Amino acid sequence: MRLALGVLLALFAPAQPPPPASADRELLVFAAASLTESVQEIAAAFQSRTGTRVTFSFGSSGDLARQIEAGAPADAFLSADTGMMDRIEGKGLVRREDRREFLSNTLVVVVPVDSTTSIGSAGDLAALPKLALADPASVPAGLYAKKWLEDAGVWKQIEPKVVPTLDVRACLAAVASGAMPAGVVYITDAAVSEKVRIAWVVADGPRILYSFAPVAASKRAAAAKAFLEFAGGSEGRAVFERRGFRTLPVSAR
Amino acid sequence: MSADLSIVLLTLRVALAATLVVLPVGVLAAWWLARWRGPGRSLVETMLALPLVLPPTAVGLLLLELLRPAGAIGRLLSGLNLEVLFTWKAAAIASAVMAFPLMVRPVRTAFEEADPRLTSLARSLGDGPIRAFRRIALPLAWRGILAGTVLAFARAVGEFGATILIAGSIPGRTQTLALAIFHRTQIGQDAEALRLVAITVAIAFVALWSTELLRTRRSRRLRGEP
Repeated sequence: MRLALGVLLALFAPAQPPPPASADRELLVFAAASLTESVQEIAAAFQSRTGTRVTFSFGSSGDLARQIEAGAPADAFLSADTGMMDRIEGKGLVRREDRREFLSNTLVVVVPVDSTTSIGSAGDLAALPKLALADPASVPAGLYAKKWLEDAGVWKQIEPKVVPTLDVRACLAAVASGAMPAGVVYITDAAVSEKVRIAWVVADGPRILYSFAPVAASKRAAAAKAFLEFAGGSEGRAVFERRGFRTLPVSAR
Repeated sequence: MSADLSIVLLTLRVALAATLVVLPVGVLAAWWLARWRGPGRSLVETMLALPLVLPPTAVGLLLLELLRPAGAIGRLLSGLNLEVLFTWKAAAIASAVMAFPLMVRPVRTAFEEADPRLTSLARSLGDGPIRAFRRIALPLAWRGILAGTVLAFARAVGEFGATILIAGSIPGRTQTLALAIFHRTQIGQDAEALRLVAITVAIAFVALWSTELLRTRRSRRLRGEP
């Protein structure tokens, strides 16, 4: 009985002693899946500099925005497009003047590394039996890909062949596993998997723009802002560029 | 590896909290369902069993509507300054709701199978209703209560659909075993996902096995065997 009580107490004790509410010691940041490695690297540098630990919840920006709308305790939101940020700004959850938009990316078509498929244009995708896309209904990577294929005039032929995935990393995994003949992801995603190769770099795609902002209701807004400044500063930009992102000179809107 | 451990501890915490909430409520509901013969019984019974047949995501969405800051319960919670959505508490609530019918069913059957004359006898010998419930009805139904508790716990460990809607899948905060397996599979970390599957199988095995041991030992004791 005493053992059972001890186990119960141990389980319900917080994993780490919770910091006092005012101390900006730990941040919870909701971030687009495509940012996974780069923001973790930036967060490690930020922590060694300031002592503030950043934990991430990665997913599709659409899902994360919906969770923030429902009251999820995020301190900052790193969205892969401006549309999702517009949506939560419209609900008063982030402030326009806090938004930082300096990061861009490039779409690529990836195929399994041993695949012989060659892609020379958007139209070539229509010849494939299936195409993995981050869900074009709600995930930025899929929305960008859809826009590219629409502009190329081939979306109608390709749409019935699309297999939507949860986020862009799920799209990458589907191609890496060999289950899908091709998928559209960011060039930075293709770089983290050895099981895919880039078959086509999309040069004529829509402009890709990430949007970062602290969540207005956060109790740790000061630390969240400091983290975003750090990510947009020279050190943060260097990490993003090394991992294949493009950075833009303008920092604020 | 330490990430795995924290996922396991979080899962156990969520499942135990859900079970502890569901146990008293479920036993009382089962007792009421086994005894009440008045009108509306089948209606209440159907309502209580609904989470069993609804898709968990449907239950999750209903819970999200109730718990969101502007929702009926959400307003109450924010008045109390309680943060529930997208915390482990939300995961526990989702698990508790989904596990509730599994707790009620076997307990109700156990109450129904116990001879009602025994409780009446205790009452006629001077026990109050609570004392008669505690000393006669509860011990007679122990098998059903044990079965219900284990089922509820197991369901809570495996809860996914309602949880992902109201608790999200935040690593270290709300990402339980079921959610972590899904997430790792989705991002192509199959080996890591399989390791979590092995851990889940071990937990389920230990839970069921220890119940079996408890049951046989208790049965033997009740029959007066050593």
